Amino acid sequence: MATAPGALGSSAPRRGDGRLAWLLIAPAVAGFLVFFAWPTVRGVYYSFTSFRILTPPRWTGLANWRELSGDSVFWHSLLVTVYFVALSVVVGVLLSLLIAVVLHRLTRSTVVRGLIILPFLISGVVAALVWQWMLDPQLGIISQLLESLTGVRLLFFGDSDWAIPSLAAVSVWKSMGYNAVLIFAGLQTIPASVYEAGRLDGASGFQMFRRLTVPLLRPILVMVVILTVIGSFQVFDIVSVTTQGGPANASNVLQMYIYEKGFGELDFGYASTMSLALFVLLIAITFTQMRLARANETDLS
Amino acid sequence: MKSSRTGRVRRAAALLASLELTAVLGGCASGDGAGSGRTTINWWTWDDKQAVAYQSCADAFEKAHPGIHVRITQYNSADYFTKLLSGFVSDTAPDAFMNSVQYLQQYASLKQLMPLDGLMKKTGYGTKRFSVGVDDWKYTDGKQYGLPMDWASAALYYNTGMLKKAGYSAADVDHLKWNPDDGGSFERMVAHLTVDRDGVRGDEKGFDKRHVKTYGISSMVAVGNDFNGLTTWRPLASSLGWRIGNKPNWPTEFRYDDPRLVRTFDYVRKLTDKGFAPAPGQFASAGNAPDGGQLLGSGKVAIYSGGSWEAATLAKLPGLKVGTGPLVAGPDGTRATVSNANGNTIWSGTRHLDETWAWVSYMGSAACQTPASRTGTFLPSIPAATDASVKAMAAQGVDLRVFLQQSRTHQLLPNSPYANGTALQSALLPLMQQFFAHQRSASVFPQMTEESRKLLRPTD
Repeated sequence: MATAPGALGSSAPRRGDGRLAWLLIAPAVAGFLVFFAWPTVRGVYYSFTSFRILTPPRWTGLANWRELSGDSVFWHSLLVTVYFVALSVVVGVLLSLLIAVVLHRLTRSTVVRGLIILPFLISGVVAALVWQWMLDPQLGIISQLLESLTGVRLLFFGDSDWAIPSLAAVSVWKSMGYNAVLIFAGLQTIPASVYEAGRLDGASGFQMFRRLTVPLLRPILVMVVILTVIGSFQVFDIVSVTTQGGPANASNVLQMYIYEKGFGELDFGYASTMSLALFVLLIAITFTQMRLARANETDLS
Repeated sequence: MKSSRTGRVRRAAALLASLELTAVLGGCASGDGAGSGRTTINWWTWDDKQAVAYQSCADAFEKAHPGIHVRITQYNSADYFTKLLSGFVSDTAPDAFMNSVQYLQQYASLKQLMPLDGLMKKTGYGTKRFSVGVDDWKYTDGKQYGLPMDWASAALYYNTGMLKKAGYSAADVDHLKWNPDDGGSFERMVAHLTVDRDGVRGDEKGFDKRHVKTYGISSMVAVGNDFNGLTTWRPLASSLGWRIGNKPNWPTEFRYDDPRLVRTFDYVRKLTDKGFAPAPGQFASAGNAPDGGQLLGSGKVAIYSGGSWEAATLAKLPGLKVGTGPLVAGPDGTRATVSNANGNTIWSGTRHLDETWAWVSYMGSAACQTPASRTGTFLPSIPAATDASVKAMAAQGVDLRVFLQQSRTHQLLPNSPYANGTALQSALLPLMQQFFAHQRSASVFPQMTEESRKLLRPTD
């Protein structure tokens, strides 16, 4: 976009820069190669083998992929995961947007912003444990309040219909502060003159939110949605702590199923196949989202 | 001996000070052991009570073998097998460990277990001493991979106060019979013991099954991760003559589509529907299966169908008199249940095979089992030790005669070893849960049989 016109003529110092640049990114590149690229390549290889970790992998060609296409538990897990993602993204982004707008209207206090981001700083395992106790059908404070107020007894994590909504609620609670702060930052980039113009044209508060704020926030919102989608697809810690995929596979999200196949049944070949399928799926989803949302363009310029 | 004592004291002190220091000092202590020519044998169990019970064996063993130090470690069963697996992979597994039949095929096929036949022959160790479980620990190659450590079965534990108030005596529990049609005297008692929040009993008019204060019996459907229903539905199905496998050992099919099993599953689901038994997950706390002590102690259930390993704990519940009753008899008077025998297995990667075998074979002797089982935490696999343990427990007010009776009158069925235990559990348990939650109808049974057929074929 913005090329410095002076840099074109002098090529010698640029080469020097290049060497320095490589040196500076070398640690990151090394980390990427060792911890991301190499395991990915190995994973691709294992997905075509029968690998039970303590014995060497045996090439089986497309057998794992055929098993995948006929594995009803895998497709069920995919649906469960999509349900979880949909709940987390819709509820999460709406709540974050609401919090950010209210914050923007009411306060500039960094203390409040700091407080809002707190749940994000808690580790997933701790958050899941605390929520599990609060939702416990016997001792949980939320269960007891709910029962004394409405007379309804919910099993939350122990009920097939409520397991995924409960998990999504924990996930939303954890990430909404962080997302709200991101959106809040986006709100601050919108010049006050835009709203002034809107007010002069006689727009109501809601109209300005719909016609001005949301379109101008699009790049940030797209980023938040994409981050939430990817993060939710990878949900594992809170499921592993609370429901372990149960009851009756109702919360058996993909990562949980992959973990169970790999570390439970020692079927690392098939677990690699499923991981790879998830990887491909995530790339496709991200790419489509970027395309649909035209995230690179902003309406501000 | 002395160096390890001081090492232990030092470690305990360090634990109070800081966790990191512990690791350092712990390392030192084991280093000391090696320096003084002592070999450390690591032994793992998932049972916290047995870890304590076997420590008395370890102390006696160390006295007899001054060159060997035994370190007993316990991990919760939820993490135990994952820990073992990472130990196999990283070459840091314990020299010997308590194992479950469910994992025999997986570990033996991966060559992680040491066949014991050669060692037994060399040291003249015979398996005739065991009354149960020897064949459960034979792999498909015919070799013995584990020594049976204990046996476990089920019983009915009841709140004597509640029974008395309802007009029942211990003798009534001893003669309970059930059938899949109307539940027999078993269901009549369970219904009468169930009380709703207004004090109406389960067999009276106006019983409110949605607000039950005390359930007649604990949940009889799959509880926790136990897809074998060892303490719940299995004794009922077994009393009808149902046997799980098409062959006693290494079956190729589990007969879930047998009408006797179908009717049992249907019946235990009805018990919950009628409000006589809690729904699965109702009393689960923080994801853990409900604990018998809590259920009985809090008066949530009148009868708890539990495992033999709980006998001592339940008999000693403060402020409550718990009685122990036999298994419920089937329509023709048959009582039967599967007796599960955990095994003591040696890791094939051990660096001290002879010392490890010395420890493992000592654990499989009356000299160790008798004092260890006096704690009442398990029923030993050696009959002589069982007698001693029953006597010792009776002195403490714990009645184990029910289990002795089960073993003497041949009510115990062997727990046949089978392949792919982990995969079976993750395939079958959700299907059972779906049936019990009314999400699936009888179509689930042929599917369960089909799944078992697929998974019981041992892989590679």
